Amino acid sequence: MTEDDKVGRRVREIIGEMCPLGEREARSTDRVTDDLGYDSVGIVELAMVLEQEFELQPIDEEQAIDIVTVGDVEELVRLATAAA
Amino acid sequence: MTTATATTADDLDAIGDIPATADERATRLPTPLDLYSRWERQPWSVADVRVARDLDTWRALRPFSRQELLNALAELEVGEVCVTQTLSSLVDHAPNPDYQLYLCTQLADEARHVRFFQSYLGEVVGIGDGSAEGQALAEATDYATVFEPELRRTTEAVRTGGGDLDQWFTALAHYHLVTEGILATTALRTTRQLAKRLGLAALDEGLANVTRDESRHVAFGLLAARAGVRDGHRELIADAYLSAVALAVEVLVGPQRKTAAPSLRPALLQRAAQIETQWELARDRMIRQLSLIDLRDLRDRAERVWADARSAALDSYQERWGVEHPVRRAEGITARAKAKLEAERD
Repeated sequence: MTEDDKVGRRVREIIGEMCPLGEREARSTDRVTDDLGYDSVGIVELAMVLEQEFELQPIDEEQAIDIVTVGDVEELVRLATAAA
Repeated sequence: MTTATATTADDLDAIGDIPATADERATRLPTPLDLYSRWERQPWSVADVRVARDLDTWRALRPFSRQELLNALAELEVGEVCVTQTLSSLVDHAPNPDYQLYLCTQLADEARHVRFFQSYLGEVVGIGDGSAEGQALAEATDYATVFEPELRRTTEAVRTGGGDLDQWFTALAHYHLVTEGILATTALRTTRQLAKRLGLAALDEGLANVTRDESRHVAFGLLAARAGVRDGHRELIADAYLSAVALAVEVLVGPQRKTAAPSLRPALLQRAAQIETQWELARDRMIRQLSLIDLRDLRDRAERVWADARSAALDSYQERWGVEHPVRRAEGITARAKAKLEAERD
């Protein structure tokens, strides 16, 4: 398993564990808000947990992406991990 | 004991009975005796809330939500203690017997609010009244640092002035209009939304009860201030109100406490939007108050005071913590994204 795969898997685990609708398995194609019920408080909490877990650093605004799906979060974490 | 009925988030805006016309609906206020009667019909007790039922849910909260709630509860508790200790001068020197009768009911309400927040902090959060941790928490609040000294000064001036009406209205502006009508109502609404979202049933119920009481307090402030404006105290009330608003904005921005925010851009923007929503709620209340107390013409001046105080408080935050406030960081990101889009379009 590549480092990218490990990051993606762990991100999905965390998103699933913290899901406001109750713990579940999260897939990369799940929409964070519409499918998993994350609201703005949930997204902020999730970001803080991810930042702590992966020791993330702020990334260039040029590279920043918007979050729609779990896959977007995985990508964001990969970018921020690379920036660390 | 009568069980209090559920309170909606809009109860703070429900300040009187239903009037006949749209214009009346927009400006009608209850009388002090209406408020007294509402107080008799809306009793509740701290014991009936049974705060300890939130214990397990509180312990399971994630650090961000727990800290957010703790900060909000500390601000509310400090505010309630201060208003409980300072109301008596307004009661003693009330300009008429109906005001005094109503204000006596409010004094009982304020004591009950203190007990509710102390019970919650003690039994659920684990911070006892008078403990070192509780003391440190209270001292770190922006209300205690920024607004409380001014509320104490203005209410004490009522006492030492022997009931001078100018002093009474100045204190009323700080107490009822701004502390209760802007700061407390905003904090109650946002804290209650969070309590509901996190499944803290006792906190939600207690805050609903406090909110119902506060709606009477706010209504009294509006009716008394409007009477004062119509009775020759217009300039004095306007000046006191605006000076209190500037302090309230500083409390809302909160330079004393570092605001938790994520670094990841999408989450940072969400966090900034959460905070901005609270500030906008408070600002909307200010505009509504001005209309209800016949100071509509003050709106532009009030908006400038608000904007200047907001900017100064954000500067203070940056000076104190060495980083931009999350709201200012988000504003910068949004502005740069907009500029980039415009450059690409050109």
